[in-house]
This record gives sequence, C-alpha cells and structure tokens, in this order.
Amino acid sequence: MKLESVRVEQFKRFKKPFLLNGLSGGINVISGPNEAGKSTLVRAIRAAFFERHRSKSAEDLRPWGDSSAAPAIELVFHHNGQKWQLNKSFLQRKRCDLSIQGTTYSGEEAEEKLAQLLGYQFPKKGASKEEHWGIPGLLWVEQGSGQNIEQAVVYAGDHLQSALSSLVSEVVSEGGDGLIHTVRQQLGELLTAGGVPRGEYKQLLADELPGQQELDALESRIDQYQNQVDRLAKVAHEFHKIDREQPWVKVRQALAEAQERYRHIESLQGQQQTLNQALTSVEQRAALLQRNKQQVQADGKQLQQREQEHNTAQQALNDVQASAAGLHAALEQCQRQYRDALEVERQAGLLETRQRLEHSSARAKTQLQQLSERKSRAAELQEALGESRTLTARHQISKAAVDRLRTTQRQLDDARLRSQAIATRIEWQLEAGQQIELGQDTLPHQGEQLLLSSTRLRIAGVGEFTITPGGDDLARCQRQLEQLQLALGEQLQALGVADLAAAEHTLVAQERAQADVHRLLELLQSLVPGGLASLDSDYQALSAELERNCAEKEALVPATTLAKGLPALAQAQDLRSDAENRLSAAEKRSSEHEKALLAASHRYQNADHEWHTLRASLNSEQRQQEVTQLNSDLTAVEQEQARQQERLKQMLAQIAAARPELVQQDIQRLGASADQLEQAQRGRELELKELRVRLEIWGAEGLEQQRGRCLAELEQNRRRCQQLQRRAEALQLLLQLLTEKRQALTQRLQAPLQKHLNHYVTVLFPDAQLEVDSQLLPGRFTRDGETGQMAELSFGAREQMGLISRLAYADLLKEAGKPTLIILDDSLVHSDSVRLDSMKRILFDAAQRHQILLFTCHPDNWQDMGSETINLEALKARAPL
Amino acid sequence: MPRFLHTADWQIGRYFNRFDTDNSSALADARYGAIERLAQLAVEYNCDAVLVAGDVFDAQTVSDRCIRRTFNATSGFKGPWVMLPGNHDAALAESVWTRAQRINAVPSNVHLALQSGVIELPQQKIAVLAAPLTQRHTYEDLTAPFDSISTPPQWLRVGLAHGSVQGVLAEDIDATNPIAADRSASAALDYLALGDWHGLKEINERTWYSGTPEPERFRNNQPGFALLVTVSEPGALPQVEALETARYHWHQWQEKLVVETDIDELLKRLDELPESSVLDLKLEGSITLAGEQRLADALSRAEARYRSVTYDRSRLLLAPTEEDLAGLQASGYVGDVLEQLQTRQSGAEAQTARDALAILASLLLEARKEEHP
Repeated sequence: MKLESVRVEQFKRFKKPFLLNGLSGGINVISGPNEAGKSTLVRAIRAAFFERHRSKSAEDLRPWGDSSAAPAIELVFHHNGQKWQLNKSFLQRKRCDLSIQGTTYSGEEAEEKLAQLLGYQFPKKGASKEEHWGIPGLLWVEQGSGQNIEQAVVYAGDHLQSALSSLVSEVVSEGGDGLIHTVRQQLGELLTAGGVPRGEYKQLLADELPGQQELDALESRIDQYQNQVDRLAKVAHEFHKIDREQPWVKVRQALAEAQERYRHIESLQGQQQTLNQALTSVEQRAALLQRNKQQVQADGKQLQQREQEHNTAQQALNDVQASAAGLHAALEQCQRQYRDALEVERQAGLLETRQRLEHSSARAKTQLQQLSERKSRAAELQEALGESRTLTARHQISKAAVDRLRTTQRQLDDARLRSQAIATRIEWQLEAGQQIELGQDTLPHQGEQLLLSSTRLRIAGVGEFTITPGGDDLARCQRQLEQLQLALGEQLQALGVADLAAAEHTLVAQERAQADVHRLLELLQSLVPGGLASLDSDYQALSAELERNCAEKEALVPATTLAKGLPALAQAQDLRSDAENRLSAAEKRSSEHEKALLAASHRYQNADHEWHTLRASLNSEQRQQEVTQLNSDLTAVEQEQARQQERLKQMLAQIAAARPELVQQDIQRLGASADQLEQAQRGRELELKELRVRLEIWGAEGLEQQRGRCLAELEQNRRRCQQLQRRAEALQLLLQLLTEKRQALTQRLQAPLQKHLNHYVTVLFPDAQLEVDSQLLPGRFTRDGETGQMAELSFGAREQMGLISRLAYADLLKEAGKPTLIILDDSLVHSDSVRLDSMKRILFDAAQRHQILLFTCHPDNWQDMGSETINLEALKARAPL
Repeated sequence: MPRFLHTADWQIGRYFNRFDTDNSSALADARYGAIERLAQLAVEYNCDAVLVAGDVFDAQTVSDRCIRRTFNATSGFKGPWVMLPGNHDAALAESVWTRAQRINAVPSNVHLALQSGVIELPQQKIAVLAAPLTQRHTYEDLTAPFDSISTPPQWLRVGLAHGSVQGVLAEDIDATNPIAADRSASAALDYLALGDWHGLKEINERTWYSGTPEPERFRNNQPGFALLVTVSEPGALPQVEALETARYHWHQWQEKLVVETDIDELLKRLDELPESSVLDLKLEGSITLAGEQRLADALSRAEARYRSVTYDRSRLLLAPTEEDLAGLQASGYVGDVLEQLQTRQSGAEAQTARDALAILASLLLEARKEEHP
C-alpha cells in the first residue's frame, strides 16, 4: 500500500484546503513546529478510515468556532496495483465515496471495504476507540504511546489472525475473538473472574442454606407436633381408663377404716390423760406434806441455833464487862501522872526566872567593877603623862649639836688611828714565868703594843730597852690630834655632857620621853573614848539596873520552897506532853469500851428475846398436835400415789398394744395415695387440656402445608441453581476450548514473528534477544546475560522495543500480502543519539518494505534518512489550491 | 333406586415441588375444583350420597383456609357426604378432622367417619360401614369388624375403607393398612368403596377403587374419575359407571429421536394435546441443529399453551450436519471447537459438552442473524 496524497478542508487546523502529496513509497519525514498541523493530518487519516461518515461524534474535526463547517478528507493510495480514492466528509455534509480502480462505492459499503482492507472495525455507535482500531492501531503509532504494544496487539488480535491466516495455511476463525468475548461476558454474569458464583447464581446458592434450615425447622416442628399428637392419644387413653376405674375410691375406704381405729386409740389416750392428771394431783399433795414436814424439822434446828446465838451474846457481854475495871485504873493513873507533870512544869518555870535574874545581877556587878578599874587606870595614865611631859622638858639637847660632836669625835678617832698606823708595833709571847715591863706597865705574857714615842722596855733579869718610833708625820699627827681633842672638849662642855656617848644617851632619853607622851595619850584615848565623863554615866546606869534586879528577886518565892532536883523547863514540858498523850489514849480506850459494852448488851438482849419467843412457840401443845397430824397424812398420800401409778401403767400398755404410730402412718399413706391418684388424674386432665391447646395453636399454622411450600421453593431454587451451574460449566468448557484453540493458532504465528523481531533487535543490541510469547507479544528480554520482561525496561527502551515489534508485525503482514502503512507521530523523542542512530538504521531498513510517514517537530534529527523532509509550513505557504 | 358417588384421595393441601410456583398453585387449586365438580355430578346424577374413601387431606396440618375451602367446595351437593380418614388424614387424637370440627368448618350434611362403625343415612336407607384409620399405619385389616356388624334390614350395606387390597395390587404398594380381597362377600356388603390407590380400579364387581378425581402424578393408572354406583336394591349387583372429573391431564412421554421424521411425529403429538395438559417430556437419541431449533420453538410454544411443560433433553445428543455447520459458518478454530464438543457429547462430561455445544451453536446463529438479518 502506498499513500499518494492527503487533502483536507475545513478540518480542524486547516480551514482552508491543504494538500499533502508527492509522498514516496519509503520513508517520508514530515516536519513542522508545534501546532503546524502534524497531529491534524494524523487525525485526518485516522478519521478517514475509522470514523463513520454519519458519526455524530465527529465534532472535534470541525475547525474552531465554525459550526457550519463540513470537514472533508480526500485520500489517494495504491494497493495491489489498484488506485483507491476516498472522499469523506462529516457533519454538515455527511458523505463517503470510494473509487477502486474506477469502481465506486459509497456510504457504509465503502467504509466496510476499507475496514476489510486494513483490518479494523467500526464502533456500533459513538466515536471510534482504541479497541476498534485493529491492525492500524498497531502500525499507526500515536504521539507518546509507542511503548504500549500489548493492548494494541490484543485489539488487533482477530484481524491479525485473519490477515495472517495465509501464512499458517490454516482456516482462521472469523469473529472468533468476538465469540470468546461474548462467552466470557456470559460466563461473567454467572461467575467472577476467579470462578466464584455471582449475581443470581450466588444469591440462589446463598438462599439454599436458609431454605434448608427453614425446612429442617419445619420438619422438626412437624415431628414434635406428631409426637404431641401421639402423647395426646396416650394421655387421653389413660385418662379415660382411670376415670372409669376411679382407683382412689378403694383407697379412701381403707383410709376411713384406719381413721376409725385411730379414733379408738385416741379415746384410750384420753383416759390415760385423766389418770395422768389424778396422779399429778396426788403427787402434788404428797409434795406439799413433805414440804410441811421439812418445815417442822427446820423449826427445831432454828431453835438450837437461836440458843447458841443467845449464849454467844452473853459470853461476849461478859467479856466486855470484865475488861472495864482495868481500863478505869489505867485512866486514873494517867490522870494522876498528868497532874504531877503539870506541877513540875510550873516549878521549873519559877526556878528558871530566878536564875535568870541572878545571872543578870552578876553581870551588872562585873561591869561595874570593870568600869571602876578603867577609871583608876585612866588616872594612872594621866599621871604618867605628866611625868613624861616633865622628862621631856629636862632633856633639852639639839640633835645637830650631837651630830657635830659625833663628827669631831670621828675625826679624832681617825687621827688616832693614823698615828697608830705610823707607830711601832710590838708583839710578844712570853714563856712561863717570864715578865717584862714596858714603860711603867708590866706586860701580860702575851700581847702587842704600838709605840708612838720612845719607850723603855725592861726585862727583868736581862736589862732595859729604849724603843724610839721613826717617821716625820709622827709629829704632825701628834699636833692634829691635839687640836681635835681640844675642839672636842669645848663641844662637850657646851652640851653639858662628858662624852659623845653621854650626849647621844641624853638625845635618846629625850626622844623616848616624847614617844611615851604620845603613847600614853593614845592609851588614854582608847580607854575612855568618850572621855571620863561618859564613863561615869555608864557606871550610874548600870548601878540602877542592878538595883532593879535585886528588887525583883526579892519579890520571887524564896528558893527554899521549891522542890529539889527539878528538871529544866523544856524537859518538864516534854514530860507533861507525854503524860497528856497517854491520858488521851486512855480516855479513848475507855470511851470505846463503853460503846462495845452497850452493843454487846443490845445483842444479848435481842438473842435472849428471840430464843425465848421461839422456844415458847415450839413447845406449845397445838404445835405438837399439828406435827402428829402431818405425819399420818403423809403416809396416806403415799399409798394413794402408788395405786394411781399402777393404773396408769396398765393404760399405757393397752395403748401401746394398739400401735398408734402404725395406724397413723396408714392414714398418711392411704391419704397420700388417694390424693396422688386423684392428683395424677387431674394432671392428665391438665396435660390433655394443654396438649389440645398447643396442638390447636400449632395446627393453625398449617405446618405440613408450609413444609410443602418450603420444599417446593427449595426444589425450585435447586433446579434453577442446577441450570445455572450447568450453564456455567458449559460456558467454562466452551471458553476453555475456544481460548485453547486460539492460543494454539497464535502460537503458530509466533515463529515467523520472532524471526522478524530478531532481525531488528540485533541491530539495536547485537547480542540481545526479545522473545515473542504465545500471545504474540514481545515478552522476555535478554541482554548481556540478564533476563527481564520488556515491561521492566526504561521508557525509552520500551518505546524502541515497541516500535521494532510493530515493524516486525508489519513485515509479517507484508509477507501475508496485506497492506502496511506505518505512521509515526513524534516517535523516539526519548531515545539518546546512539540509540536513535540505530533506530534510524532500523527504520530505513523497514522503509525498504513499507511506506512510513514520520511526523516530527525536530526535523534536524531526521535529516539523515535519505529523503527530503516535507515541511508543512512551506506547504501551507504555497498558493491555495 | 339408591345411587351414590364413590370418590377418594382428594389430597387437599398437596404441593407440587417439581413445578414452578404458578403451575404448582394452579394444580393445587384444581383439587378444590374437583370437589366442586363432584358435587355438581352428585346433583346431576341425583345421587343419594357422596362417599369419600380416605385421604381427603394430604396432611394433618394444613391451613384453616385449606380446610374451609374443602368443605365450602362440597356446598353444591346438599345431600349427605360421608368422609373417611385415610393414612394421610388419620383420625388421630388431634387431627385435621378435630380441627375442622373445632373451627366449625364441617357442614351438617357432611358426616365424618372418625370411628370404626356404622354411619346410618336413614333417609337414603344406606348404612355406611366405616373403617377409618385411627393411626398413621396399621397392620391389621380394619374392615374385619364389618363381618359382624349388623345394619337395619332393607338398607344398603356399603363399606368404606382405605388401604391396600391384599394380593391384588402390585407388590411394591406398602403392605400397611391391608384389606381382605373378599371383604364385600364376607361382610355381605352391597358395595365396598375403597381409597388409597390413586387410579380407577375394579377389584371385584362389588369392590372398587375410584382413584383420585384430579390427577397429581404422571403415573398412568386412570386417575381423574369418580364412580357413580347404582344399586337397584339391597343385595343386587351394583352398576358402576366412571365419570370423568379431571381438570388437568398429566402426560409423561419418553421419546427417542433418531431421524427427522421422529421430530415431525413428536411435534404433531405436541400440537394435538388439549390445553389442560401437564406434560413431562424425556428425550433421547440425537438431533440436528435444525431439528433442535424446531424442537426448541415447539417446546416454547407448548410452554405457553399448556398448563405445564417440563422436559429433559440431557440424553438427546446434538448432531450438527454438514449443512448445519455450513450455516453456522464456524470457520477456523471455532469450527474445531464445535467438532470437539460434538464428539465430547458421549464422553465423561457429556452433559456439559452438550450444553456447551448448544450455547456455541446459538451464539453462532445469532451472529449469523446479525450479519444477515
């Protein structure tokens, strides 16, 4: 097939007529920028074939804003040496004319011719969609859908098989895919894709269980109903039988007899009761008498007790009385002792007063004496003071004169000493019996002497020695010594004393007399501080006091009247206090004794009275008679009691022999039996009623009729269900066979398609392999040892693979003598330059066998396709046709 | 001349599971119609009484409406009706009968023979010796007491019982409720009216089964009649005349189709049936697609025309002829499938294959029709 020209008018972007002609049999690159009309041309070619000229869905073919337009297309192509010309217009002017080598067809007939030639179909109504496009859907690649090969192959299915049938020398089924579709659809009404019942079938299956359950429930209730009916028959039968027999009547008779027997026993029991009462009364009386007897005995005992109490009281009284005398004596003694002690205390007081006065007088006397002594002493001191003052006046010597004297003396002494030092020393030690004389003096047998001047020594028997001291100072010392001795003599004279010692002695005596004056003055002052006058007044006051004491003492009882050996007052007071305490204790004891005596006396009188009263009462004659009567009554009552007990024993034996408890049990048993029998019958009657009521209610429901209805519905459901199941199975089988067969057929086309596919794949990837699967779809892709599905490839790769698959299909169709026109709208834009180069080689190769229209907005990419690029802009710029 | 109508086995309240709801209720309704016709016949033939020999009701627990409709349907005949409990409606302690009495559904002219004994119809001088079933099943002959029951002289002695006459009916009949074959003789009965066997059957000249007045199954044993019994005088042989009462006629055909003319024959018979037919068709053999088409058309017409048409074609093989196949234009693999299904009809899943074949054929025919209307 070779498309010669395409002409459009009032068609979308082309309001004015536009002609694309001069197309070559190989590749035609048609370029133009965006919105130049490339897609419009593609759409025009599609519309010319796919859309019914009468279609109301062709609105989009109209140019914008031109509602009166009649979009028109004219196509001219050659196929199998025949020229085909198609003129088709839509909307305002609906026409379709086809001329094939001079033979003309029009309307739908023309459209069918075209569909048959290219292998597609028309929609039943509305716009043509992908699923109707058949083989052109596979070969005419829309913008951006080059990679979606699967769906296109599926839609082309039937047409492909039909077109390729000559290749496999097989009768290909026309409409086989449609049939499969219908069968699948019909099966789909019954089963889901997963084979699960749906719709009515599902509902029927779902209804079966509740239906069966309802039926089972009804069956069970019918069963119960019938059981109840049987129960009714049985109970009714029993009821009527028992009603006739009335078995309780006989039992009631036996009951009456037993009751009669029991009444007899009850009368015996009544008599026993009377006996019991009589016995009780006798026993009560005996008990009363017994108590009286006990009372008598108790009275005797009480008398004894009272006597004893009387004696005890008397004894106690006596004891108390006996202790009275001792107590009294003791009291008197205490009183006496107290009085004595009191007297002693008084006298001791007096004595003490006297002694105090005496003592006071003695002290006053002593003081008086002292005062007089001090007076005399003071007089002495006064006198001594006078003497001392006189002495002082006599020894008038100045201390300075003495000091001068002393200095002169010392200078004299010093001069002497100096003369001695210059003098000659003689020391001697004489033997016994020897004597020497120095000067005039005979010397002791031992000593020394200084010699200031020439001296003679004579030794008896020996002769005389004159010793003269040497030195010049001896004379001057002698002269100083003489001056000083003269001065001293003058001073001694002035002072009136012999020597220095006397002078000093006179000075000491003077100083001592002055000290005595001072001392005496101080003594006097200390002795009579107030002076001698105050000493006199004290003396007088003391004398007066002494006189008063004496007077007082005179007034006192004379000491001779007082007892001798009196104790001190404090001791006397203590003694008196002790005596007083003892007296108080004695008085208290005496008073307590008085009270005890009174109490004992009272007790005794009471006891005595009671004892006498009781004794009188018990010993009376009436009392004695009563006791006698009591004893005889008691004997009689005890005999009566024994008799009654015997009678009662006999009665009890009689009652026991009649076995009242057994008779009573009989009554119970028989009564209960009769009741039970009647009760059971009443129960039956009740059950009958209940059963009848229940059955009546259940009967009203028409259970078996319901079961009939339920069963009918269930059966009907099942029948319908079976029908659907059969139909589903049949459809499944049919579908299975049809798809299997179809599958088998497509598989036969697999090999030739694979061959063509390999041809292209190896151009793109030298060692790669793209396998065609049983659905004639490119599937498993192997490259560099890696295997994957085509769907897993990148978009660009998928587009490339899609395109070569389409080319392979085209080759296959060509082989089968079918028309192949390949239209590519902006394909391979996602391919890189290397791949694009490979694809160009592939396209160029394919163009050797097929006409290819390649629309692009990148004409630069396709400059190397070995053909002239048709520029739409340029074409449009041409003068209108 | 005493004359009465003998009927039995009304089976009121029965459901017909095998039919769809429409047909089922129509057939159930027809049973009341039969009672009305019996009353009409009783009047028409001037009968003294109508004796119903058991199984008036199909079950004990039918709806009150059902009970009332039954007795209402007897209103056409004002003379005495004697109704006997059968095995389906035995006179149990609580039964459809006690219920009917309780709800006051029983007209005064209807006598219920709920106990074994005599029901006297003094005006008609007929003594009806009744042997009702008082249990669901018995194994003793309830008619035995008839031998010793005395009835007023110069009255007809008519026995009324429900059960199986011993030694006469096929052996597969339940052996319960036995009845001695010579009971009419031993009990000196003028006539023994029996129920339980749903077809008309003469046991001896005095002993008859009337069968059900309205057929309710396909068994072809002469159902749909009532017996008009005329006895000129006590002791005389009864004249028994069968009166048709059926509203619907039940047909069950088993046809084997081999050649085309068999279909012609079948379709002809189908066309000739009365409209009140209940037809059950079991087909076997084989049929061409064209024949199948004709048959389907005919059955479709019949379904619309008759009361009920049911059919079983599961054993009828589809055998498309060359011509058929050409007509279907089943080219390519579809043709293969057609062929395969055809052969599979005798295989393991014959039924499914046959159905699938039919579906395929019909789809292809439809497709053809669409292409060439």
